[in-house]
Amino acid sequence: MSDFTSTTDTRFDSRLFRIVPHLILFALILVIWEAAVRLGFITSIIIPRPTAIMGAIAELYFVKGTIYHHFFITLTEAVVGFLIGASVAVSLAVCSALSDPFKRYVSPYAIVLNVTPGIALTPIIIAWFGYGMGSKIALAAVLCFFPIFVNTLTGLLQRDEDREELFRSVGASNAQIFRKLRVPAALPLLFAGMKIGLTTALIGAVVAEFSQATEGVGVLMSRFSFQLDMASSLATLLSMTLIGLILFYSMEFLDDRIVFWRRETRRAAASRAKARAWNARMGQ
Amino acid sequence: MNASVQAQANGAAGKSVINAKGLSKTFGGGAVVALNDANFEIRPGSFVSLVGPSGCGKSTLLRLIAGLIDRTNGELAVHGRDVTGPRTDVGMMFQKATLLEWRTAVENVLLPTEMAGTVTKADRKNAADLLRMVGLKDFLFAFPSQLSGGMQQRVALARLLQTGADVLLLDEPFGALDEFTRERLNVELMRIVGEVKATTLFVTHNIAEAIFLADQVFVMTPRPGQIASIVDVPFERPRPLSIQTSPEFNTLVAQVRDILGEDH
Ligand SMILES: Nc1ncnc2c1ncn2[C@@H]1O[C@H](COP(=O)(O)OP(=O)(O)OP(=O)(O)O)[C@@H](O)[C@H]1O
Ligand SMILES: [Mg+2]
Repeated sequence: MSDFTSTTDTRFDSRLFRIVPHLILFALILVIWEAAVRLGFITSIIIPRPTAIMGAIAELYFVKGTIYHHFFITLTEAVVGFLIGASVAVSLAVCSALSDPFKRYVSPYAIVLNVTPGIALTPIIIAWFGYGMGSKIALAAVLCFFPIFVNTLTGLLQRDEDREELFRSVGASNAQIFRKLRVPAALPLLFAGMKIGLTTALIGAVVAEFSQATEGVGVLMSRFSFQLDMASSLATLLSMTLIGLILFYSMEFLDDRIVFWRRETRRAAASRAKARAWNARMGQ
Repeated sequence: MNASVQAQANGAAGKSVINAKGLSKTFGGGAVVALNDANFEIRPGSFVSLVGPSGCGKSTLLRLIAGLIDRTNGELAVHGRDVTGPRTDVGMMFQKATLLEWRTAVENVLLPTEMAGTVTKADRKNAADLLRMVGLKDFLFAFPSQLSGGMQQRVALARLLQTGADVLLLDEPFGALDEFTRERLNVELMRIVGEVKATTLFVTHNIAEAIFLADQVFVMTPRPGQIASIVDVPFERPRPLSIQTSPEFNTLVAQVRDILGEDH
């Protein structure tokens, strides 16, 4: 037990140690930036001072709290769009993996959708779905479809002859081989696709907001930019970064737990959980 | 079907578990003769080694018996029943452990049971017992990536035994392991198949290993793949490793080497 804590401590120490140069560099950049604006090398209308951005952050996030409403609107659009796009993508990928003709008929559309710049669909989608959240959700769904579809399909199409022979030798049906072998084997790639898809869904939501909308961080940001309030605009941009981070790490969290067998630490935890469940079941 | 009636008659006589008559397999529409005209009977509980150079049809013969591929010609019956596909009384183990990395050792062992229906408490207990039997009692909940190559093969062996099959087909099961581990596992395998009273077919490239383990050695030669000769091994099983230095043992090695020609 003491062994465990000591390894964690050293790991924590070294991580802290590695972070220090990064912090110093970041602080240095801020200081030079601040100085450059104050000394008049850069016009503050084009690039505001870091301290001005901090002021805008304080205003938006803490004094007025304007950001939260828009923040949750955009977050919702991205998540709902992602859920719709991902469901369609995974369903089509599963059907394509199960049926060769289906794959042949679907692939051309998927490829055309991929090579067409998805963002260019924005005006059409807004015409179809209106100025509200619907069009943002739709664009998010369209943009996240392809990476999830391709990754899931690639994962499901990986075939391991040796393992399939093993399954057949114990009398497994094709359905069993699919559920117990091909699906779990595809999960790492599926999650890789989901992570990309979540990011592109956010892009979709924000781009649609830039185009036509009444609420959301995209709207807020373009409003500030029109008013040449660059500090607030950049402070709003940070909220998008924050949404991106929340989405990415939520998926990372799920990935870690569902595809637990790739990471040593998660495997150990899963091992212990399985042992507990087993002992409970066997009545020991 | 004449063949299966014939085979059933053979099985009813009760002296052989596996019967093959004129058994042949070709690939590519006859271009490759993987196995040509194999004839043999295997007695219940006996251990048969298949030895021969690469491409002589060892894996093909095992796959045929496992029902994983269809024969081109001849008759083949296990327990007097014509072989038409994979069966629960025949189990197979491969050179690669082919464990599922998202399952613990014991969950991997339970795979055959799961494929056959629901897993009961008795099945679970059996799986745990089998892992103990192959020397992995402390590794029930380990994932494959936490196990060494030898331990992974032990899990695969336990999984094979979990099928409950009494015909065990092992295709170079320890071929990818180092000499020491292989020798140890061979000795354990001999003990285990003796305990579960299984009929065993064991493929290897190694003549000494083939003789050490078996009651009978099928010596196979390539182009076309065939059983060139069946050599009886007179020693009692289980045997000590030291038997390999005895003159009788070395006479048998020389005899098999002779049949194989200059390849070995
Ligand atoms: N699915 C297949 N399609 C075409 N040819 C095959 C197939 N499987 C086996 N063969 C051919 O049949 C012959 C016998 O193959 P087999 O795998 O039984 O040999 P083996 O004795 O197991 O060899 P090794 O010791 O290398 O495993 C070889 O010439 C091989 O190329
Ligand atoms: Mg082979």
